[in-house]
Amino acid sequence: MKTIITGTGQTLTLKSQSGFFKQNADLAQANRARLDTHGVTAIDILGSVGAGKTTLTGELVAHLSPAQKVAAIAGDLTTEIDARRIRACGAEVLQINTDRGCHLDANMVKNALDLLELPALDTVLIENVGNLICPGGYLLGAHKRMVVIAVTEGPYQVVKHPYIFQDAAVVAINKIDLAGAMEVDPEALKADVHTVRPGIPVVFCNGRSGQGVPELAAALGLGG
Amino acid sequence: MHETAIAQSIVDTVLREAAHAGAVTVESVEIEIGELTFLGTDQIRFWIENQVDGTVAQKAEWVFHTVKGGIACAACGYQGEIQAAETEDHFRLPVFACPQCGASDVEIVRGRDAFIRAIHVETPED
Repeated sequence: MKTIITGTGQTLTLKSQSGFFKQNADLAQANRARLDTHGVTAIDILGSVGAGKTTLTGELVAHLSPAQKVAAIAGDLTTEIDARRIRACGAEVLQINTDRGCHLDANMVKNALDLLELPALDTVLIENVGNLICPGGYLLGAHKRMVVIAVTEGPYQVVKHPYIFQDAAVVAINKIDLAGAMEVDPEALKADVHTVRPGIPVVFCNGRSGQGVPELAAALGLGG
Repeated sequence: MHETAIAQSIVDTVLREAAHAGAVTVESVEIEIGELTFLGTDQIRFWIENQVDGTVAQKAEWVFHTVKGGIACAACGYQGEIQAAETEDHFRLPVFACPQCGASDVEIVRGRDAFIRAIHVETPED
């Protein structure tokens, strides 16, 4: 902040230099550099409450292990339920309770990375708080973002929430087995994703059966 | 979602800088809001106006400028504004891809932050 004009001696113009989100952006960059130092790939998993993020995260852990050493960071307001579920799939899991916070931020992820043994890891899956709005505004330092939507959320989730897809590298359309019952056309959802983010991989999944999970891992560049 | 916190930061900054400059009145404040920040300007204005009663900024004009999202394309080097698709349901449906070569591997380089661009204050006459 500095004074730049003192025109009449009576009116000053004060100019602000740094943005309100700069601290988060800087921390996200530091998180990325730290992950890169240890050769760890991190994925930020976004989606609304009940889309199936935890189930798919667990399935990804099971698919990638034991060939890869995978850890997960689970964001949730008040419980350890997600951490317990993903841990049962074979990963070291840290639970971040955001209390009333509706998204993870780069500082929370930094604190979680402090507690992980990064040199021993290949992959970190970060399950964000269930929310299709503000998590999109806070970069965490992950290498890729995946958005999970479920057919049970109805046919309009993509067109109503285009900005959550702004950084998405991969989109999972989950609970694909329920599409008929929901009278939702998964191909139409896929077409909506491709209107907002042309050309990115869209994978039809069923977190309960594991359908689509190997394709998801491949699309995220995690191999396995 | 975070308009209350941002409004509080704006008010704190404006009042601190006004005091630092010895201002008697804050005439206007110009604020830039990035299109991709998930912040609503009407809500920020509401929360600001709630907090400045009885301060030197009580009568300030709060001017908001929207900063359009900008992308850089890794494939062809395009740098520019995010384009929009035509639909009957949207005011504006953003398309996060390169408008020049169609590549989806684009980086968002603008529109993710919010700034105070300027604070115009009046100081006492000597």
